[in-house]
This record gives sequence, C-alpha cells and structure tokens, in this order.
Amino acid sequence: MNTAVPSSSDGKKDAGPRQPKKGSLRPSHWPFIIPALVVVGGVIVFPWIFTLWMSVNGWQIGVEQHFVGLTNYQRLLTDARFIDSMGRTLSYTALSVIAPLFLGTLAALIFNTKLPGRGILRGIFVMPMMATPVAIALVWTMMFHPQLGILNYLLSLVGIGPQEWVFHPATVIPSLVLVETWQWTPLVMLIVLGGLASLPAEPYESASLDGASGWQKFRFITFPMIIPFLLIATMIRTIDALKSFDIIYAITQGGPGTASETINLYLYSVAFTYYDVGYGSAIAVVFFILIIALSLLLIYLRQRTSWLLGDA
Amino acid sequence: MAAVQIADVRKTFGTTHVIRGVDVDIEDGEFVILVGPSGCGKSTLLRMIAGLESITSGEIRIGNRVVNDVPPKDRDIAMVFQNYALYPHMNVADNMAFSLKLKNAPKSEIETRINRAATILGLTELLDRYPRQLSGGQRQRVAMGRAIVRDPQVFLFDEPLSNLDAKLRVSMRAEIKDLHQRLKTTTVYVTHDQIEAMTMAEKIVVMHDGIVEQIGAPLELYDHPANLFVACFIGSPSMNVLKGRVELGEFITAGGVRLPLEKTPPSALGKPAVYGVRPEHLKLSADGVPGKVLVIEPTGSETQVVVEVDGQPITCLLRERVAIQRGDTISVRADPALVHLFDAETGKRLTD
Ligand SMILES: Nc1ncnc2c1ncn2[C@@H]1O[C@H](COP(=O)(O)OP(=O)(O)O)[C@@H](O)[C@H]1O
Ligand SMILES: [Mg+2]
Repeated sequence: MNTAVPSSSDGKKDAGPRQPKKGSLRPSHWPFIIPALVVVGGVIVFPWIFTLWMSVNGWQIGVEQHFVGLTNYQRLLTDARFIDSMGRTLSYTALSVIAPLFLGTLAALIFNTKLPGRGILRGIFVMPMMATPVAIALVWTMMFHPQLGILNYLLSLVGIGPQEWVFHPATVIPSLVLVETWQWTPLVMLIVLGGLASLPAEPYESASLDGASGWQKFRFITFPMIIPFLLIATMIRTIDALKSFDIIYAITQGGPGTASETINLYLYSVAFTYYDVGYGSAIAVVFFILIIALSLLLIYLRQRTSWLLGDA
Repeated sequence: MAAVQIADVRKTFGTTHVIRGVDVDIEDGEFVILVGPSGCGKSTLLRMIAGLESITSGEIRIGNRVVNDVPPKDRDIAMVFQNYALYPHMNVADNMAFSLKLKNAPKSEIETRINRAATILGLTELLDRYPRQLSGGQRQRVAMGRAIVRDPQVFLFDEPLSNLDAKLRVSMRAEIKDLHQRLKTTTVYVTHDQIEAMTMAEKIVVMHDGIVEQIGAPLELYDHPANLFVACFIGSPSMNVLKGRVELGEFITAGGVRLPLEKTPPSALGKPAVYGVRPEHLKLSADGVPGKVLVIEPTGSETQVVVEVDGQPITCLLRERVAIQRGDTISVRADPALVHLFDAETGKRLTD
C-alpha cells in the first residue's frame, strides 16, 4: 500500500541532469539489492508460489500428494458452501466498510469543530481500536446474550423486544458488523480528521462570499476535498474486513450452522479441520485474487482524485 | 454598484486594538486603495467590509444599508484574495460558476457570464484546467473572473499582486485598472506597495497602526502630505527629512546648516520642526548646501546621488547627466517653493 499516504504523484518528474537513467542498474549495484531480494523472495514470493503449487495438487492427510491440475478450482465452482461463504464475505465486507466510513466521517466532522473537551473525548473514542480481538469477542458475546446481555436490556428501554443477535442466522452478520464497526470507526475518524486538518481555510472564505450555506460548504468543498482520504479509509477497511477472522471465530465459530461462515472461516475448516490442503490453497488463491482486484480498483480511484493534491 | 461608508469602525482581537476608529467614504464606482505598512490593519478592515470579520464598533454601510450584521453571502460583494483561494477541486469554469450555481442561475446565463469574463480576462483557453495546472498570474485572473461573474456591488482586492513576479505585477496592474474602467464597479483594493497605490488609485487611504493618516488623490498625497508618515511613505525614493527649527525665512538644521524657506508659517517660528524635500526637487547649484557624495547610481534616464548633508544621507534625483564621482563635494539646493515642513512633535504638516 505504498499509495496510502496522500502525495502529489504527478508522474511528471523531471529527471535532473546528473540522475542516471531509470533502469540502468550496473553490476556493481547488485550486492546492495540481493539481501532485500532474498528477504522478499523468502517471505512473500515463495509462500505464494508454494500456495499456488499446492492448489493444483491433491494434498490431503493420509493421501499421497499428486498433481491434479485445475480440479480443485473446478470443485470450487460447484461447492455451495464456498459460494455461500463468498456471498457472506462480500456482504459482511460491504457493511463493515460503509458503516464505519459513514460514522467515522461524522465523528471526524464533530471532532473537527471547537468542541469543549474534545481532546479527552477523542481519546476515549479511539480506545476500541486498541483492544485485542479476543477480549472484544468476550465482551460482545456477553452483551449479545439474549437473556443477560445489556443490548436487549437497552432495546427493552425503548420498547423493542429481545433479539437473538449472533444466535440467530438472520441477525448474526449484522451483529458481527456492529462489533467490527464499533472497533474500527475510530480508525476512519482519525484518517478523515487528518484530512480535514490538512484542508486549506481560504476556499471556505471564498465560499462564504460566493453564497454557500454550511451544508453547501460541506457538500461542494469539504466532501470533494476529503475524497482521497475517504478512499484510503475505504481501502484499509476493505482489506481489513475481507481478512476478518479473529472476531468472527471467537464469537460464533461461523455459526449458528454456517450462517456466519465467511471465506476465511471456511478456508480454516478446509485446511485445519478436514486437512484438505490442496483445496484450501485453491480457496486462498481465489480469495487473494479478489483482494488484489478490489485493492487495484481503489488505488485506481484514488489516483483519479490526485488533482486534489496539488497546491492551489 | 454601490457606495461604501465606513464610520468610526473599530476592531479588537482580545485586547489588541487593530483598527482604532476609521472613517472612509467611498463613492459609487470609485477605485479606492488602502495602503500602509504590513500589519497596519488593511486586511482586517477589508475583511470587515466583506463580513469575514465581525465589527467591534462603528458602522459599515454598503449602498445605504448597514451591513454590520449581514452575513458575507448577503452583502453582494466579491473578494479576490492574496493567495487566490480558488477551489482546488474545480476547474476554471466551475470555479467561476460556483456562486451562480448556488443561486440556481439558469445554465445559459451561467455560460454567458463565464464566457464574457473569460474573454475579458483571456481565460477562454484555460476553462478546463484545474488551479494547480495554472501559473500564478493565471490563477490570479481566475480569482478575478470569479469576482466578475458575480457582477457584485463592490469588488474587494487583498494584495492580489503580491505573489506575482515584478513584470507580471506591472501588467496586471494595468489590467485591473482597465477592468475598472470598463466595469465601473466600486472597488476597494488593499496593498502595502505605495507605487501600486499611486499608479492605480483614484483615491488613496493611507493607514498606519489602525488609523487613517490621510485620504486623497494620489498626487494630492504626494504634493501635500498631511503628516510626516504620509510624506515618507508615499514616493520612491522617499522624501529626505532633516530635523531642526524654523526661523524667519529659513530652516536651521540641528547641525546648523541654513536652508532657505519661501514662506515661514508664523505658528512654527522657533519651534522644533522637520524639513522635508523630495529627491527630485534638489538641484546642483553653486549657491546650495555643500555635501560629500556617498553613492552615485545612474539609471540612464536620471541619476540618483546620495550626498552627506549635516551628517545625514540626502538623496537627490538629477535629470541631467553629471560628471561627479564618489568622494567629490558638490553643492545642492532645494526649490524653496517645494519644501515641506512638519511639526517635530506631532508630525503634522505646518501650514501658513
Ligand atoms: N485573527 C486575528 N487574531 C489576532 N490578531 C490578528 C488577527 N488577524 C489580524 N491580527 C493582527 O492585526 C494586525 C493587523 O493585521 P492585518 O489586517 O492582517 O494587517 P495588514 O493586512 O495591514 O498587513 C496584525 O498585527 C495582526 O497580527
Ligand atoms: Mg494583509
């Protein structure tokens, strides 16, 4: 994610007269690059090639490893559990991106005003981000409890009947998204707050004279100018939500039934419960391609907004 | 178009008195320049006219309406900021159209107005560009375009040329003046550059430390500065001043040099005073005051010579070419009719 930091990447760099031409790497430079190559190759490239290799093999405990070509991938196409988990992953991700993004932006706008005591409030607000997933899972599992949990008690105060939260297939995904949102809204808030702090003050004065109301200033000035930051937050949230495993596993283990089984949980079962390593690898590869594709889309969108980042 | 009246306006930030009672009357269609050194409160006053700063006390009227409590958007004014303050995420056309779109003006009218402004300012080719793709001068023109399309009652300019290079500044100066001739919109223009003020204004307001030192036409200020501050601030190179006292028919400097006066203001007789003379009112003359030449700077059209008189450097601007050198002693004489006298204590002009 080397584009995660806003920078004026014009791509129109004038090479200084002394700079060697791009790509002209002399043999004497190699020794300096080899250590990095070895590390990158060992920890990033090799595992991926190995996974790719495993995905085209039958590789189960008790069965001899043998080359099977694309059989594993064909099996994915007809595996209802895989397809369902894919759908769940996408809806879980979409909700876990949109909700924190909306709430985080709102929080950033509030914290960006001259609120009294906003330093302390901001400190409290970002605390969920720092908690460990298992602790969060424990606390929320108790809060979700249909009889003893505080959530149903709170609902009863406003006259809403008890819900089953993570214990019912229909509400388990939204309930998990609630936890995810609670934990990650602060991150979005911090990113957007940073963006708001970096905005120039002058356009707002122009806008006052041009006749813009408060809402119009937000709609036509603030919002377009923080889009790059919203895209960064979206990218981070998307990747994070797609990868989400710990909280779901600790709270529901994919249940009830398979109602909260996302790709990650399914992959975990295939690889470590059924020990079908080859098939698991195929799932991992497809999932990885999905993540890469979404990331590229977001990076592309962010670059299209780079006109914002020049000085005006 | 409208007249602007500023009546006993004051502004304090906390305990700092930034504007300390300013009265200015600006006529309908007039081009007025507020000039003064940095920090004297020019921008603050302009921003109060715009409504971007509250008015601590006093009254500002735009076209007979007291605007003290009118929000900026309802004052029908347009402002051009020193740093342009363009909308970075909008192209040139959208920057100019923004105010009209907010007013829900019909599309065709927006287009007409933008095209007209773009033609006036030579921006037609640049309508699709974003601010960051423009040079400083072009951005400045877009900022002006944004003001023009509004067709406001009053234009406000806050040092619009100070971020431009010297050459561009001169040409933009002419452009803004030309624009005013065409549109005849009341304009209040802030600058710290007295040359800009002299060349562009119909009326100059000289400010210093939150008060108005003098208001008048450019040459009026030049020929009859009301006080020492205005005398020294207006004109380049600036007026030579010598301390001393007034006697009948002459001024005697602290060092005892005697300088002839045409008239002796009776009230000034014997009082400590300041003698001022502009560099171009000094001539080489055998019956003048002798002085050693410190610096000679020929520019071709004229020669600037600094001579030491009474222990002080005195600048002379000579039209003729002279064969003198550094270290020579020459004698210079001021035209007594063009000499200024100021009260040494109050700085006020001493008149007869
Ligand atoms: N928002 C503010 N708060 C406190 N002091 C201010 C503020 N704005 C301006 N000042 C002070 O008011 C004085 C006049 O400022 P300004 O009007 O910008 O001067 P100018 O435009 O003539 O250079 C300065 O001393 C400046 O420090
Ligand atoms: Mg200023």
